[in-house]
Amino acid sequence: MTAVNTGISCFLIAAIISILPLQKIKRYTYIISSIGSLGFGLFALSIIFSAPSKLYTLNISSAFDFVFYGDALSGFFLLAISVLAFAVSIYSVGYTKDMKNPGAAGVLYNFFILSMYAVVLSGNIITFLISWETMSLLSYFLVTLQRDEESARAGLIYAVMTHAGTAFIIALFLVLYTQTGSMDLAEIKLYASHIPDTLKNLIFIFSIIGFGTKAGIIPLHTWLPRAHPAAPSNISALMSGVMIKTGIYGFIRINLDILQQSPEWWGITVIVIGAVSCIIGMLYALMEYDMKRLLAYCSVENIGVIFLGIGAAMMLKSNGLYTASSIALAAALYHTLNHAVFKGLLFLGTGSVMHATHTKNMEKMGGLLKSMPYTGLFFLIGSVSICALPPFNGFVSEWLTYQSLLSGFNSVSIASKIAAPLGAAALALTGALAAACFVKAFGISFLGMPRSSHAEDVKESSASMITGMGVLALLCLVLGIFPGLTLRVISPAVFSYTGAGIMPTGAGFLHIGGSLSDLSPAAILISIIIMFITTVIFIFIAGGKRKISYGDSWDCGIKALTPRMQYTATGFTKPLRMIFRKIYLPKRDLNISYIVKPFFLSSIKYSGEITPFLEVYIYRPLTSLIRGAARRVSILQSGSLHLYLGYILATLILLLIFGGN
Amino acid sequence: MNNWIEAYFVIDFISAGLLLTAVSMNALKRIESCVKAYTLNSWLLASLIFVIALMNGETHLYAAAGITVLSKGILIPLFLGRIIRKMRVTHEVEPYINNVVSLSISAVLVAVVYTSLSDAVFIEGFLKNVLQISIAVLLIGLFIMITRRKAVTQVIGLLFMENGLFLAGFSLTSGMPTIIELGVLFDVLMGVIILGIFAVQIRRTFASADLDRLNTLKG
Amino acid sequence: MEYLQFILIIILSPLINGVIRKLKAQMQGRPGPGLFQSYFDLIRLFKKDMRISNTTSWIFGAAPYILFTSTIVAAMIVPVITTVSPFSVMGDIIAIIYIFALGRFFMALAGLDAGTAFGGEGSSREMTVAILVEPMLMLSIFTAAISAGSTNIAMLASISGPIYTPSHILALSAFIIAIIAETGRIPVDNPDTHLELTMIHEGMVLEYSGKYLALMEWAHYMKQMLLFTLAVDIFFPAGIINNTEPAALAMSFGIYLLKMFSIAFFMAIIESSRAKMRFFQLPSLLEGGFVLAFLSLLTYIMTGR
Repeated sequence: MTAVNTGISCFLIAAIISILPLQKIKRYTYIISSIGSLGFGLFALSIIFSAPSKLYTLNISSAFDFVFYGDALSGFFLLAISVLAFAVSIYSVGYTKDMKNPGAAGVLYNFFILSMYAVVLSGNIITFLISWETMSLLSYFLVTLQRDEESARAGLIYAVMTHAGTAFIIALFLVLYTQTGSMDLAEIKLYASHIPDTLKNLIFIFSIIGFGTKAGIIPLHTWLPRAHPAAPSNISALMSGVMIKTGIYGFIRINLDILQQSPEWWGITVIVIGAVSCIIGMLYALMEYDMKRLLAYCSVENIGVIFLGIGAAMMLKSNGLYTASSIALAAALYHTLNHAVFKGLLFLGTGSVMHATHTKNMEKMGGLLKSMPYTGLFFLIGSVSICALPPFNGFVSEWLTYQSLLSGFNSVSIASKIAAPLGAAALALTGALAAACFVKAFGISFLGMPRSSHAEDVKESSASMITGMGVLALLCLVLGIFPGLTLRVISPAVFSYTGAGIMPTGAGFLHIGGSLSDLSPAAILISIIIMFITTVIFIFIAGGKRKISYGDSWDCGIKALTPRMQYTATGFTKPLRMIFRKIYLPKRDLNISYIVKPFFLSSIKYSGEITPFLEVYIYRPLTSLIRGAARRVSILQSGSLHLYLGYILATLILLLIFGGN
Repeated sequence: MNNWIEAYFVIDFISAGLLLTAVSMNALKRIESCVKAYTLNSWLLASLIFVIALMNGETHLYAAAGITVLSKGILIPLFLGRIIRKMRVTHEVEPYINNVVSLSISAVLVAVVYTSLSDAVFIEGFLKNVLQISIAVLLIGLFIMITRRKAVTQVIGLLFMENGLFLAGFSLTSGMPTIIELGVLFDVLMGVIILGIFAVQIRRTFASADLDRLNTLKG
Repeated sequence: MEYLQFILIIILSPLINGVIRKLKAQMQGRPGPGLFQSYFDLIRLFKKDMRISNTTSWIFGAAPYILFTSTIVAAMIVPVITTVSPFSVMGDIIAIIYIFALGRFFMALAGLDAGTAFGGEGSSREMTVAILVEPMLMLSIFTAAISAGSTNIAMLASISGPIYTPSHILALSAFIIAIIAETGRIPVDNPDTHLELTMIHEGMVLEYSGKYLALMEWAHYMKQMLLFTLAVDIFFPAGIINNTEPAALAMSFGIYLLKMFSIAFFMAIIESSRAKMRFFQLPSLLEGGFVLAFLSLLTYIMTGR
C-alpha cells in the first residue's frame, strides 16, 4: 500500500505545484508525476499476483460509499496505464515548455491520470460511474485546452459521444442493480447467474454501445479522429494509449468477468465488430495526411484487433474450448498493453515532429530523419511495432490472436468454425493495410526531401522528450522479445475467466500446446543479428571494400529534381482509393484554366477527397432527425419569460389539485 | 399575550391582511403603489412573526421579525424606488390582461388553494389557515410575474412569492432555525439587487424594460 | 545437416531463378542466358562500386541488410529436405509471412528514401499488391493449417494421408496466385522490365547499385524459392523425410530439386503464356484468388475434406 500512497501523493503534489505561480519550474512537476506512475506500476504488479481484495472503502452513507477493489484484471490495466503515464510524464517535461497555459494543463493532466486509475480500480457502481464521468470530463477539458475553433468543435463532438455512451453504461448498471440488488461489483458477480437471458442480452448490447463509444469501435468512432488531433500530443498519447482502453476494461469487466458465461452469438458479434473496426479503421487511416488523425483512425483499428481477441475468447469459451479461450483473452490483453506502448510512442513522436515543424500535415514534411535522427528512429520502431512485424511487440499479440482464432475450428458449431478463420483473414488484411499506412506515414514525413519550408532547418527535440520516447521504444522491443514474461503478468487475469492458464515455457518463448505451434521472437532477433554479422563478413570477403560515391537521385536526365516531384501521401494511396472506391466514394475536382485553349495552360488545380460514408449516411441523417425533433419541441421554448412562468403556475396548480389531497 | 383566542384572532387578521395586499397587486396601476403594497405586505409578515414570537416566547423569532422589517420593509422598498427613478420608466404597470380579469383569476387561484389544502393531513393546529394563505400569496406572486410586462413588476412579483414562501415555512415549522432565515433573507436581498441591475441593463440594451424583447435571445 | 538445410535455399535460389529465365527464353524461342547467369550477376554486382543518392538516409543502407537477413531467418524456419527442423521453434508459417512483411516494409521505405517519383510509385504499388495478396495467402494457409491442426510448418509438411482433397486444390490455386504476386512475376509484375510506368519491384530498387543491389536481388531470389518450398511443403509434401540419415537426405534432396524444377517450369509456362495485366486490373485477379481461398476454407468446414 505504500507504493500506491506514494503514487497518489505524487500526482496530487504535482497538481498542486502546477497551480502555483512558478512559471519557470512548472514543467518539472511532470517528473513527480512520473515517480507517481512508477509507484502505481509497482502497486499494479502487487495486486496482479495477490488475491482479489477490497483496497479501500470510504463510507458516505449507508446506500452510498466509495469502494476500490483490486484484482488481476484491474491490476493489469493499472500496469498499462502506469507504463504509459511514466513515459509520457518524462516526455511532457520538454513538451510543455512552450505551452500556453501550463498550469491548467498540469492540473488536468495529473487528475486525468488519477481518474483513469480510479476507473479500473472501482469496486462498485457508484464509484465506477463517478470515476468514469470524471475521466470523461477531464479529458474533455484537455481536448479543448488549446481554445481554438477546431478544439471546441472536437470537444463538443467528444462530449456528445461520450455522454451518449455513458447513458448506456448507466442503463446497463441499473439493469444489473435491479436484478441483483447490489451496488458492489463483486456481489453482482455472485448473483449474475440469476439474471434472465433476455436481460443479459440487453446488458451485452448496452455494454457494446456504451463501452464501445469510449473504445472507438466502428461506427461509434467519430469522436476519435477529431478529439485526438485537437488535444496536445502528450494528452493524445494518453487518450489513445490508455483512456480508450478503459472502454475495453469496462467491456471485459461486464461481459467476461461479471456475466462469465455468454451465448455463442455474443462472441461472434464481437468478432464481427472487431473485424469491421480494424478493416474500416485502417482504410480510413490510409487516406489521412494529417498525422494525428491517421493515428486516431489507427487506434480504431487496434481496438478492432483487441475486440477480435475478446470475441474469440467469448466464442471459444461458449464452445467449451477453455485453453484456446485463454489464449484469445491473453492475446487481447497483450495487444491492449502493446497498443498503449506503441501508440503512445507514435503520438509522442508526432508531438515532437509537430513541435519542430509546426504542422500536422505530412505533405509538408519530408527528410526529417536526417534532422531528427532519434525521433525518427523511435517513430520507425513504433511504426514497425504497430504493423505487427517481428521481432517487435505488435507481432506477438497478433500471432496469439491468429492462433486462438485458428483453434476456433475445433468448435462444435458451424457458425464459430466460419467466423474464426474469417476473423483471422480480416486480421491479415489489416496487417497489410497497416504496413502500407505506416510506410506512408514514415516514408512521406521522415524520408526523401523536405516538402516545404516547415521541414527545413528543424531541430531535434529536447532530451526529456527523446528519453520519454526512448523508454517506450525500448518497451516495444522488450515486450516483443520476452512474451513469456509478459504473459506471466497477463495470465492471472485470464485464469479468472477461463480457469485455464497459459503457461509459457520460457521468457522469450511461446508454445501453443493444442496446435504445437511455437514462436520465439527472441530467437528471431538473435538469428537476425547473427545473420547480419555473417552477411557483412561475407560481403567483405566476396566483394572486398568498394568505393562509395554520392550524387543526386536519378532524375531521368532533367537535372532538376525538386521536392515537388516526390511521391505525395495522397499519391501513395491513390491505387487503394481506386480499388476500394466503393468504400471511399472518392470525389475529385479538376480545374484547368487556359490561356489559349486547348494548348496553353495557365494553371491546373486538382482537389480530391473521400466521402466518410458512416458520417454521411448514418450520423448526418441522425443529427438532422434530432434537430428536426428539437425544432418541434422548441415551440414550447418561445423565449417569453411570461410563458415560462405560466408553465410553472400551471404545474403548481395541477399539483395542488391532484396532489394536495 | 396569554389569551390564545385573541392570538388566533390576531394571526387570522394579519394573514387576511397579507392576502389582501397580495390580491391588491392585481388592481394597482402604478408601480409605486405596487412597491407600497409590497412594503405593507412585508410589515404585516414581520408583525405576524412577532405575534408568533410572543406566543412561543422564542427569542430568535424576535430577531427574525426585526430582520424582516429591516430588509423587506425598509431596504428592498428603498432600493426598488431607486431603480424605478433610475430607469425613468412610465409609471403605469401595463399588464397583459385588464384588472377585472386578473382579479377574478386571483380569486380563482385562492379558491383552488383553499379547496385543495382544506383537508391536508400534514397540518395541525392553528397555523392551517396561514399555510393556505401563504400558498395563495405565492401563487398570486407568480401570477403577477406572468401578467406584468415590466422588469420591475417581475421583481415585485418574485418578492411576493418569497414572502409567501417565508410564511409557508413559518406555518409548517413555527419558526425555522435562525441561520436559515438569515440565509434566505440574504438571498432575497442579493436576488433583488441582481434583478435590479439586470432590469437596468435590459433597459439599456433594448431601450425598454419590456421583457417581450427578450424573445429574440432564444436559439 | 538438419541445421543447415536453409543454406540450400541461400545457395540454390539464384539457380532456380536462372532455370525459370532459361525455360522462359526457350519457350519464347530465344537461347536465353545460361543457367548460372544469376550467380554471375550477383558476383559482378558485389564487386562494383556504389553510387548513393544524397537525398537518402540510413534507411537506404539498412534496408538491403534487413531484407536479406530477414529472408534468411524465414528460410531457417522452413523444412527443406527433412521435417526434422530444429529452427521451427523460432516461429511458424504466420511468423514467416510476417518476416516477409518486415523485409517488404523496409524495401518500400527505401523506395521512398531517394525522393524520386519512381521509388514512390514502386513502394505504393508494392504495398497495394501486398494488401490484396495477404488475406488470400493467409486464408489458403489457414485451410492447410486447420486440416493439419497446426501452423507449425514441420507439422504441415509431415502430414500423412490424403491431401488432394477439393479444399486443398482450391487452396493451392489461391496459393499459386499469391506466389506469382509475391514474387513479382507476370501477370502481376514483370521481373525483366525497367519500363518505368509498369514496374513495381524494380521501381523500388531503382536507386540501388553495387552490393546493396546484389543483396536486394539475392533476397528476392531467396524469397521466391522459399515460397516455392512452402508450396511443396504444404501441398506436395510427398518425398520429404522425417529423419536425418545421410542416404535418405540425399534422396530427399533429389526429390526436392525435381519439385523445384517442376514449379519453375510451371512458372515459366505462366509467364510465357500470359500478358502482364494493367495495374488496376490486378484487383480482379487477386479478388478471384481470395474467393478461391475462401471457398477452400468453406469446403473444408462443410465437408471436412
